[in-house]
Amino acid sequence: MDQEAVIEKPPLDHETLRDVIDLSLWAGQMLLQHGADTDRVESVVHLIGTSLGAAWLDILVSPNALIVTTISGDEFRTKVRRVVTLGVNLSIVCAINDLAYRISWGEVDRVEARAELLRISAVRSNYNRWVVVGMVGLACASLSRLFGADLGVFAVTFLSSAAAMFVRQEMSRRHINAFMIVVVTAFVAGAGASTATLFQLSPNPQIALAASVLLLVPGVHLINSLRDMINGHMVTGLVRGFTGAVISMCIALGLLLAMQLLGVSGL
Amino acid sequence: MNWLNILQDLFWSGVVAVGFAVLFNVPRKTLIACFICGALGHALRTLLMQLGVTIAPATLAGAALVGLLSDYFARRLETPSLVFGICGAIAMVPGSFAYRAMLGLIRIATSAPATTEPILMETAVNFINTGLILAAIALGITMPMLLFRRRKPVV
Repeated sequence: MDQEAVIEKPPLDHETLRDVIDLSLWAGQMLLQHGADTDRVESVVHLIGTSLGAAWLDILVSPNALIVTTISGDEFRTKVRRVVTLGVNLSIVCAINDLAYRISWGEVDRVEARAELLRISAVRSNYNRWVVVGMVGLACASLSRLFGADLGVFAVTFLSSAAAMFVRQEMSRRHINAFMIVVVTAFVAGAGASTATLFQLSPNPQIALAASVLLLVPGVHLINSLRDMINGHMVTGLVRGFTGAVISMCIALGLLLAMQLLGVSGL
Repeated sequence: MNWLNILQDLFWSGVVAVGFAVLFNVPRKTLIACFICGALGHALRTLLMQLGVTIAPATLAGAALVGLLSDYFARRLETPSLVFGICGAIAMVPGSFAYRAMLGLIRIATSAPATTEPILMETAVNFINTGLILAAIALGITMPMLLFRRRKPVV
Protein backbone atom coordinates (compact mmCIF):
# COMPACT_ATOMS: atom_id res chain seq x y z
CA MET A 1 0.00 0.00 0.00
CA ASP A 2 1.25 3.40 -0.98
CA GLN A 3 1.10 5.51 2.19
CA GLU A 4 2.08 8.77 0.42
CA ALA A 5 -0.94 8.67 -1.88
CA VAL A 6 -3.22 8.01 1.07
CA ILE A 7 -2.23 11.14 2.94
CA GLU A 8 -2.66 13.35 -0.13
CA LYS A 9 -6.44 12.92 -0.42
CA PRO A 10 -8.48 15.66 1.30
CA PRO A 11 -10.11 14.36 4.49
CA LEU A 12 -13.87 13.76 4.37
CA ASP A 13 -16.20 15.13 7.02
CA HIS A 14 -18.03 12.93 9.48
CA GLU A 15 -21.28 12.56 7.54
CA THR A 16 -19.62 11.91 4.19
CA LEU A 17 -17.32 9.23 5.54
CA ARG A 18 -20.30 7.54 7.11
CA ASP A 19 -22.07 7.55 3.78
CA VAL A 20 -19.04 6.20 1.93
CA ILE A 21 -18.65 3.20 4.21
CA ASP A 22 -22.38 2.54 4.10
CA LEU A 23 -22.52 2.54 0.30
CA SER A 24 -19.44 0.41 -0.24
CA LEU A 25 -20.62 -2.13 2.35
CA TRP A 26 -24.03 -2.31 0.72
CA ALA A 27 -22.50 -2.99 -2.68
CA GLY A 28 -20.20 -5.63 -1.19
CA GLN A 29 -23.09 -7.30 0.60
CA MET A 30 -25.08 -7.64 -2.61
CA LEU A 31 -22.08 -9.08 -4.45
CA LEU A 32 -21.44 -11.65 -1.75
CA GLN A 33 -25.12 -12.61 -1.58
CA HIS A 34 -25.49 -13.27 -5.27
CA GLY A 35 -22.48 -15.34 -6.19
CA ALA A 36 -19.38 -13.18 -6.65
CA ASP A 37 -16.02 -14.58 -5.61
CA THR A 38 -14.06 -13.04 -2.74
CA ASP A 39 -11.52 -11.27 -4.93
CA ARG A 40 -14.25 -9.44 -6.80
CA VAL A 41 -16.01 -8.40 -3.58
CA GLU A 42 -12.76 -6.98 -2.23
CA SER A 43 -11.78 -5.09 -5.34
CA VAL A 44 -15.24 -3.63 -6.03
CA VAL A 45 -15.73 -2.47 -2.42
CA HIS A 46 -12.28 -0.93 -2.49
CA LEU A 47 -12.94 0.81 -5.80
CA ILE A 48 -16.26 2.28 -4.68
CA GLY A 49 -14.88 3.50 -1.35
CA THR A 50 -11.78 5.14 -2.73
CA SER A 51 -13.65 6.65 -5.69
CA LEU A 52 -16.16 8.27 -3.35
CA GLY A 53 -13.32 10.02 -1.51
CA ALA A 54 -12.00 7.72 1.20
CA ALA A 55 -8.22 7.48 1.29
CA TRP A 56 -8.07 3.75 1.85
CA LEU A 57 -10.31 0.80 2.65
CA ASP A 58 -9.42 -2.39 4.47
CA ILE A 59 -11.84 -5.20 3.79
CA LEU A 60 -12.37 -8.53 5.47
CA VAL A 61 -14.67 -10.90 3.61
CA SER A 62 -15.95 -13.63 5.86
CA PRO A 63 -18.38 -16.27 4.62
CA ASN A 64 -21.35 -14.66 6.33
CA ALA A 65 -20.24 -11.12 7.12
CA LEU A 66 -18.39 -8.22 5.60
CA ILE A 67 -16.13 -5.93 7.64
CA VAL A 68 -14.87 -2.68 6.18
CA THR A 69 -12.67 0.03 7.66
CA THR A 70 -12.48 3.33 5.80
CA ILE A 71 -9.62 5.73 6.38
CA SER A 72 -9.73 9.41 5.55
CA GLY A 73 -7.33 11.96 6.93
CA ASP A 74 -6.97 11.24 10.65
CA GLU A 75 -10.33 9.54 10.92
CA PHE A 76 -11.26 5.95 10.45
CA ARG A 77 -14.48 4.05 10.70
CA THR A 78 -15.26 0.36 10.87
CA LYS A 79 -18.56 -1.28 10.15
CA VAL A 80 -19.72 -4.89 10.05
CA ARG A 81 -22.58 -6.19 8.01
CA ARG A 82 -24.10 -9.62 8.20
CA VAL A 83 -24.54 -11.30 4.85
CA VAL A 84 -26.99 -14.10 4.28
CA THR A 85 -26.19 -15.96 1.09
CA LEU A 86 -29.11 -16.08 -1.31
CA GLY A 87 -29.39 -17.68 -4.70
CA VAL A 88 -27.06 -16.87 -7.54
CA ASN A 89 -28.07 -13.81 -9.52
CA LEU A 90 -25.39 -12.75 -11.95
CA SER A 91 -27.34 -9.73 -13.23
CA ILE A 92 -26.93 -8.09 -9.84
CA VAL A 93 -23.21 -8.91 -9.83
CA CYS A 94 -22.91 -7.32 -13.28
CA ALA A 95 -24.90 -4.25 -12.29
CA ILE A 96 -22.82 -3.60 -9.16
CA ASN A 97 -19.60 -4.11 -11.07
CA ASP A 98 -20.79 -1.64 -13.69
CA LEU A 99 -21.81 0.88 -11.03
CA ALA A 100 -18.39 0.65 -9.37
CA TYR A 101 -16.67 1.58 -12.63
CA ARG A 102 -19.06 4.44 -13.28
CA ILE A 103 -18.39 5.77 -9.78
CA SER A 104 -14.65 5.53 -10.39
CA TRP A 105 -14.94 7.50 -13.64
CA GLY A 106 -16.80 10.23 -11.74
CA GLU A 107 -20.07 9.70 -13.63
CA VAL A 108 -22.02 8.88 -10.47
CA ASP A 109 -21.83 10.76 -7.17
CA ARG A 110 -22.80 9.63 -3.68
CA VAL A 111 -26.48 10.51 -3.90
CA GLU A 112 -26.92 8.91 -7.30
CA ALA A 113 -24.99 5.85 -6.16
CA ARG A 114 -27.46 5.30 -3.32
CA ALA A 115 -30.41 5.59 -5.69
CA GLU A 116 -28.72 3.23 -8.12
CA LEU A 117 -28.03 0.60 -5.41
CA LEU A 118 -31.67 0.82 -4.33
CA ARG A 119 -32.76 0.26 -7.93
CA ILE A 120 -30.43 -2.73 -8.34
CA SER A 121 -31.61 -4.37 -5.12
CA ALA A 122 -35.26 -4.05 -6.17
CA VAL A 123 -34.81 -5.36 -9.71
CA ARG A 124 -36.79 -8.44 -10.65
CA SER A 125 -35.70 -11.40 -12.73
CA ASN A 126 -34.79 -10.95 -16.40
CA TYR A 127 -36.72 -14.03 -17.40
CA ASN A 128 -40.28 -15.15 -16.98
CA ARG A 129 -40.47 -17.94 -14.39
CA TRP A 130 -41.89 -20.39 -16.95
CA VAL A 131 -38.98 -19.65 -19.26
CA VAL A 132 -36.67 -20.52 -16.36
CA VAL A 133 -38.58 -23.77 -15.72
CA GLY A 134 -38.36 -24.73 -19.39
CA MET A 135 -34.71 -23.79 -19.83
CA VAL A 136 -33.61 -25.61 -16.68
CA GLY A 137 -35.48 -28.70 -17.86
CA LEU A 138 -33.78 -28.38 -21.23
CA ALA A 139 -30.35 -27.92 -19.61
CA CYS A 140 -30.69 -31.11 -17.54
CA ALA A 141 -32.05 -33.00 -20.54
CA SER A 142 -29.05 -31.81 -22.59
CA LEU A 143 -26.75 -33.05 -19.84
CA SER A 144 -28.44 -36.44 -20.09
CA ARG A 145 -27.65 -36.34 -23.83
CA LEU A 146 -24.01 -35.68 -22.98
CA PHE A 147 -24.09 -38.74 -20.73
CA GLY A 148 -25.38 -40.75 -23.71
CA ALA A 149 -29.13 -40.79 -23.18
CA ASP A 150 -31.66 -41.80 -25.83
CA LEU A 151 -34.89 -39.98 -26.61
CA GLY A 152 -36.95 -41.63 -23.84
CA VAL A 153 -34.49 -40.65 -21.12
CA PHE A 154 -34.17 -37.19 -22.65
CA ALA A 155 -37.93 -36.62 -22.37
CA VAL A 156 -38.18 -38.03 -18.85
CA THR A 157 -35.25 -35.90 -17.68
CA PHE A 158 -36.77 -32.80 -19.23
CA LEU A 159 -40.13 -33.31 -17.55
CA SER A 160 -38.83 -34.33 -14.14
CA SER A 161 -36.25 -31.56 -13.81
CA ALA A 162 -38.72 -28.95 -15.05
CA ALA A 163 -41.21 -30.15 -12.44
CA ALA A 164 -38.45 -30.06 -9.81
CA MET A 165 -37.55 -26.51 -10.81
CA PHE A 166 -41.18 -25.48 -10.43
CA VAL A 167 -41.29 -26.96 -6.92
CA ARG A 168 -38.02 -25.21 -6.09
CA GLN A 169 -39.41 -21.83 -7.18
CA GLU A 170 -42.57 -22.31 -5.17
CA MET A 171 -40.60 -23.27 -2.06
CA SER A 172 -38.07 -20.46 -2.27
CA ARG A 173 -40.91 -17.99 -2.65
CA ARG A 174 -42.14 -19.19 0.73
CA HIS A 175 -38.67 -18.74 2.30
CA ILE A 176 -38.22 -22.36 3.31
CA ASN A 177 -34.78 -23.39 4.56
CA ALA A 178 -32.37 -23.71 1.62
CA PHE A 179 -31.23 -27.25 2.46
CA MET A 180 -34.81 -28.40 2.92
CA ILE A 181 -35.61 -27.04 -0.54
CA VAL A 182 -32.75 -29.08 -1.98
CA VAL A 183 -33.94 -32.31 -0.35
CA VAL A 184 -37.53 -31.88 -1.54
CA THR A 185 -36.51 -30.77 -5.04
CA ALA A 186 -34.17 -33.76 -5.39
CA PHE A 187 -37.01 -36.00 -4.22
CA VAL A 188 -39.34 -34.65 -6.90
CA ALA A 189 -36.67 -34.94 -9.60
CA GLY A 190 -35.78 -38.46 -8.47
CA ALA A 191 -39.39 -39.60 -8.37
CA GLY A 192 -39.95 -38.22 -11.85
CA ALA A 193 -36.79 -39.78 -13.23
CA SER A 194 -37.62 -43.16 -11.67
CA THR A 195 -40.46 -43.53 -14.15
CA ALA A 196 -37.84 -44.21 -16.83
CA THR A 197 -36.87 -47.35 -14.90
CA LEU A 198 -40.37 -48.28 -13.77
CA PHE A 199 -41.87 -48.21 -17.25
CA GLN A 200 -38.66 -49.42 -18.93
CA LEU A 201 -38.50 -46.52 -21.33
CA SER A 202 -34.87 -47.10 -22.22
CA PRO A 203 -32.07 -49.70 -21.98
CA ASN A 204 -30.14 -47.49 -19.55
CA PRO A 205 -32.72 -45.51 -17.58
CA GLN A 206 -30.39 -44.71 -14.66
CA ILE A 207 -28.98 -41.78 -16.69
CA ALA A 208 -32.27 -39.97 -16.05
CA LEU A 209 -31.70 -40.24 -12.30
CA ALA A 210 -28.21 -38.79 -12.50
CA ALA A 211 -29.13 -35.99 -14.90
CA SER A 212 -32.44 -34.77 -13.52
CA VAL A 213 -30.98 -33.67 -10.17
CA LEU A 214 -28.19 -31.68 -11.80
CA LEU A 215 -30.22 -28.48 -11.61
CA LEU A 216 -29.37 -28.56 -7.91
CA VAL A 217 -25.64 -29.16 -8.20
CA PRO A 218 -23.94 -26.32 -6.33
CA GLY A 219 -21.73 -25.43 -9.29
CA VAL A 220 -21.25 -21.80 -8.36
CA HIS A 221 -20.40 -22.64 -4.74
CA LEU A 222 -17.87 -25.25 -5.80
CA ILE A 223 -16.25 -23.19 -8.56
CA ASN A 224 -16.06 -20.11 -6.34
CA SER A 225 -14.67 -22.25 -3.53
CA LEU A 226 -11.71 -23.43 -5.57
CA ARG A 227 -11.31 -20.00 -7.09
CA ASP A 228 -11.11 -18.37 -3.67
CA MET A 229 -8.52 -20.89 -2.56
CA ILE A 230 -6.42 -20.26 -5.67
CA ASN A 231 -6.51 -16.56 -4.85
CA GLY A 232 -5.49 -17.22 -1.25
CA HIS A 233 -8.85 -16.74 0.48
CA MET A 234 -8.76 -20.03 2.33
CA VAL A 235 -11.53 -19.39 4.86
CA THR A 236 -14.22 -18.36 2.39
CA GLY A 237 -13.01 -21.06 0.02
CA LEU A 238 -13.33 -23.80 2.64
CA VAL A 239 -16.75 -22.64 3.78
CA ARG A 240 -18.07 -22.47 0.22
CA GLY A 241 -16.68 -25.90 -0.52
CA PHE A 242 -18.27 -27.32 2.59
CA THR A 243 -21.59 -25.67 1.76
CA GLY A 244 -21.36 -27.33 -1.63
CA ALA A 245 -20.69 -30.70 0.01
CA VAL A 246 -23.66 -30.34 2.35
CA ILE A 247 -25.90 -29.42 -0.59
CA SER A 248 -24.64 -32.50 -2.47
CA MET A 249 -25.50 -34.63 0.56
CA CYS A 250 -29.00 -33.14 0.62
CA ILE A 251 -29.39 -33.99 -3.07
CA ALA A 252 -28.33 -37.58 -2.37
CA LEU A 253 -30.78 -37.83 0.54
CA GLY A 254 -33.79 -36.62 -1.44
CA LEU A 255 -32.89 -38.73 -4.44
CA LEU A 256 -32.35 -41.90 -2.41
CA LEU A 257 -35.61 -41.44 -0.57
CA ALA A 258 -37.44 -41.28 -3.91
CA MET A 259 -35.53 -44.25 -5.32
CA GLN A 260 -36.08 -46.49 -2.31
CA LEU A 261 -39.77 -45.64 -1.99
CA LEU A 262 -40.26 -46.54 -5.65
CA GLY A 263 -37.88 -49.51 -5.48
CA VAL A 264 -35.53 -48.26 -8.19
CA SER A 265 -31.80 -48.91 -8.28
CA GLY A 266 -29.46 -46.11 -9.31
CA LEU A 267 -26.63 -48.01 -10.93
CA MET B 1 -12.29 -39.67 -34.42
CA ASN B 2 -16.04 -39.19 -34.46
CA TRP B 3 -16.78 -35.69 -35.72
CA LEU B 4 -20.53 -36.07 -35.58
CA ASN B 5 -20.14 -36.82 -31.91
CA ILE B 6 -18.16 -33.61 -31.39
CA LEU B 7 -20.79 -31.56 -33.25
CA GLN B 8 -23.55 -32.99 -31.09
CA ASP B 9 -21.41 -32.30 -28.05
CA LEU B 10 -21.03 -28.67 -29.14
CA PHE B 11 -24.75 -28.23 -29.46
CA TRP B 12 -25.89 -29.91 -26.26
CA SER B 13 -23.24 -28.38 -24.02
CA GLY B 14 -24.13 -24.96 -25.42
CA VAL B 15 -27.75 -25.57 -24.49
CA VAL B 16 -26.65 -26.59 -20.98
CA ALA B 17 -24.72 -23.34 -20.63
CA VAL B 18 -27.69 -21.23 -21.74
CA GLY B 19 -30.08 -23.15 -19.47
CA PHE B 20 -27.96 -22.50 -16.43
CA ALA B 21 -27.35 -18.92 -17.56
CA VAL B 22 -31.11 -18.36 -17.44
CA LEU B 23 -31.24 -20.00 -14.00
CA PHE B 24 -28.50 -17.65 -12.79
CA ASN B 25 -30.36 -14.70 -14.30
CA VAL B 26 -27.56 -13.33 -16.50
CA PRO B 27 -28.18 -10.18 -18.59
CA ARG B 28 -29.91 -11.10 -21.86
CA LYS B 29 -27.16 -9.70 -24.07
CA THR B 30 -24.70 -12.30 -22.73
CA LEU B 31 -26.69 -15.43 -23.62
CA ILE B 32 -25.08 -16.05 -27.00
CA ALA B 33 -21.62 -15.63 -25.53
CA CYS B 34 -22.54 -18.10 -22.77
CA PHE B 35 -23.60 -20.59 -25.44
CA ILE B 36 -20.28 -20.23 -27.27
CA CYS B 37 -18.19 -20.55 -24.07
CA GLY B 38 -20.08 -23.62 -22.89
CA ALA B 39 -20.08 -25.31 -26.30
CA LEU B 40 -16.41 -24.81 -27.17
CA GLY B 41 -15.11 -25.59 -23.69
CA HIS B 42 -16.97 -28.86 -23.32
CA ALA B 43 -16.33 -29.91 -26.93
CA LEU B 44 -12.59 -29.40 -26.48
CA ARG B 45 -12.75 -31.61 -23.41
CA THR B 46 -14.61 -34.32 -25.32
CA LEU B 47 -12.18 -34.06 -28.23
CA LEU B 48 -9.17 -34.48 -25.95
CA MET B 49 -10.81 -37.40 -24.17
CA GLN B 50 -11.37 -39.11 -27.52
CA LEU B 51 -7.67 -38.63 -28.19
CA GLY B 52 -6.92 -40.52 -24.99
CA VAL B 53 -6.39 -37.75 -22.43
CA THR B 54 -7.94 -38.54 -19.03
CA ILE B 55 -10.80 -36.44 -17.75
CA ALA B 56 -9.00 -34.11 -15.31
CA PRO B 57 -6.35 -32.69 -17.68
CA ALA B 58 -8.92 -32.56 -20.48
CA THR B 59 -11.13 -30.50 -18.20
CA LEU B 60 -8.21 -28.20 -17.43
CA ALA B 61 -7.75 -27.54 -21.14
CA GLY B 62 -11.47 -27.05 -21.72
CA ALA B 63 -11.78 -24.70 -18.76
CA ALA B 64 -8.72 -22.74 -19.88
CA LEU B 65 -10.42 -22.22 -23.25
CA VAL B 66 -13.56 -21.06 -21.41
CA GLY B 67 -11.36 -18.70 -19.39
CA LEU B 68 -9.75 -17.18 -22.48
CA LEU B 69 -13.11 -16.81 -24.24
CA SER B 70 -14.72 -15.26 -21.18
CA ASP B 71 -11.86 -12.78 -20.94
CA TYR B 72 -12.53 -11.81 -24.56
CA PHE B 73 -16.31 -11.55 -24.13
CA ALA B 74 -15.88 -9.62 -20.88
CA ARG B 75 -14.10 -6.86 -22.77
CA ARG B 76 -16.36 -7.09 -25.81
CA LEU B 77 -19.64 -6.92 -23.88
CA GLU B 78 -18.38 -4.96 -20.85
CA THR B 79 -19.59 -7.61 -18.45
CA PRO B 80 -17.59 -9.22 -15.63
CA SER B 81 -15.85 -12.36 -16.90
CA LEU B 82 -17.27 -14.51 -14.12
CA VAL B 83 -20.62 -14.61 -15.95
CA PHE B 84 -19.09 -16.43 -18.90
CA GLY B 85 -16.70 -18.42 -16.76
CA ILE B 86 -19.40 -19.90 -14.56
CA CYS B 87 -21.96 -20.50 -17.30
CA GLY B 88 -19.34 -21.90 -19.65
CA ALA B 89 -17.90 -24.28 -17.08
CA ILE B 90 -21.18 -25.52 -15.63
CA ALA B 91 -21.53 -28.36 -18.15
CA MET B 92 -18.12 -29.65 -17.03
CA VAL B 93 -18.98 -29.65 -13.31
CA PRO B 94 -18.63 -33.30 -12.26
CA GLY B 95 -22.27 -33.80 -11.36
CA SER B 96 -22.39 -37.46 -12.31
CA PHE B 97 -19.16 -38.25 -10.45
CA ALA B 98 -20.48 -36.49 -7.36
CA TYR B 99 -23.77 -38.38 -7.78
CA ARG B 100 -22.02 -41.74 -7.93
CA ALA B 101 -19.75 -40.80 -5.01
CA MET B 102 -22.72 -39.86 -2.82
CA LEU B 103 -24.60 -42.99 -3.84
CA GLY B 104 -21.48 -44.98 -3.01
CA LEU B 105 -21.36 -43.48 0.48
CA ILE B 106 -24.88 -44.66 1.17
CA ARG B 107 -24.12 -48.10 -0.28
CA ILE B 108 -21.10 -48.44 2.02
CA ALA B 109 -23.33 -47.68 4.98
CA THR B 110 -25.91 -50.28 3.99
CA SER B 111 -23.80 -53.06 2.44
CA ALA B 112 -22.78 -56.32 4.10
CA PRO B 113 -19.19 -56.11 5.45
CA ALA B 114 -17.83 -58.70 3.01
CA THR B 115 -18.92 -56.71 -0.05
CA THR B 116 -17.87 -53.29 1.22
CA GLU B 117 -14.34 -53.19 -0.17
CA PRO B 118 -15.02 -52.78 -3.92
CA ILE B 119 -17.72 -50.20 -3.19
CA LEU B 120 -15.27 -48.32 -0.97
CA MET B 121 -12.68 -48.26 -3.77
CA GLU B 122 -15.19 -47.16 -6.37
CA THR B 123 -16.49 -44.39 -4.12
CA ALA B 124 -12.98 -43.15 -3.37
CA VAL B 125 -12.19 -43.00 -7.09
CA ASN B 126 -15.37 -41.03 -7.74
CA PHE B 127 -14.56 -38.58 -4.94
CA ILE B 128 -11.01 -38.08 -6.19
CA ASN B 129 -12.27 -37.44 -9.72
CA THR B 130 -14.86 -34.96 -8.45
CA GLY B 131 -12.19 -33.01 -6.59
CA LEU B 132 -9.67 -33.09 -9.42
CA ILE B 133 -12.20 -31.98 -12.03
CA LEU B 134 -13.39 -29.13 -9.82
CA ALA B 135 -9.83 -27.97 -9.23
CA ALA B 136 -9.19 -28.16 -12.98
CA ILE B 137 -12.28 -26.06 -13.74
CA ALA B 138 -11.40 -23.37 -11.22
CA LEU B 139 -7.75 -23.25 -12.26
CA GLY B 140 -8.71 -23.23 -15.93
CA ILE B 141 -11.20 -20.38 -15.83
CA THR B 142 -8.96 -18.20 -13.66
CA MET B 143 -5.90 -18.98 -15.75
CA PRO B 144 -6.06 -15.89 -18.03
CA MET B 145 -6.31 -13.69 -14.95
CA LEU B 146 -3.43 -15.45 -13.23
CA LEU B 147 -1.30 -15.16 -16.37
CA PHE B 148 -2.10 -11.74 -17.81
CA ARG B 149 -3.37 -9.64 -14.91
CA ARG B 150 -0.69 -10.01 -12.32
CA ARG B 151 -1.47 -6.67 -10.76
CA LYS B 152 -0.58 -5.65 -7.27
CA PRO B 153 -3.26 -6.63 -4.76
CA VAL B 154 -5.51 -3.65 -4.07
CA VAL B 155 -6.55 -4.60 -0.57
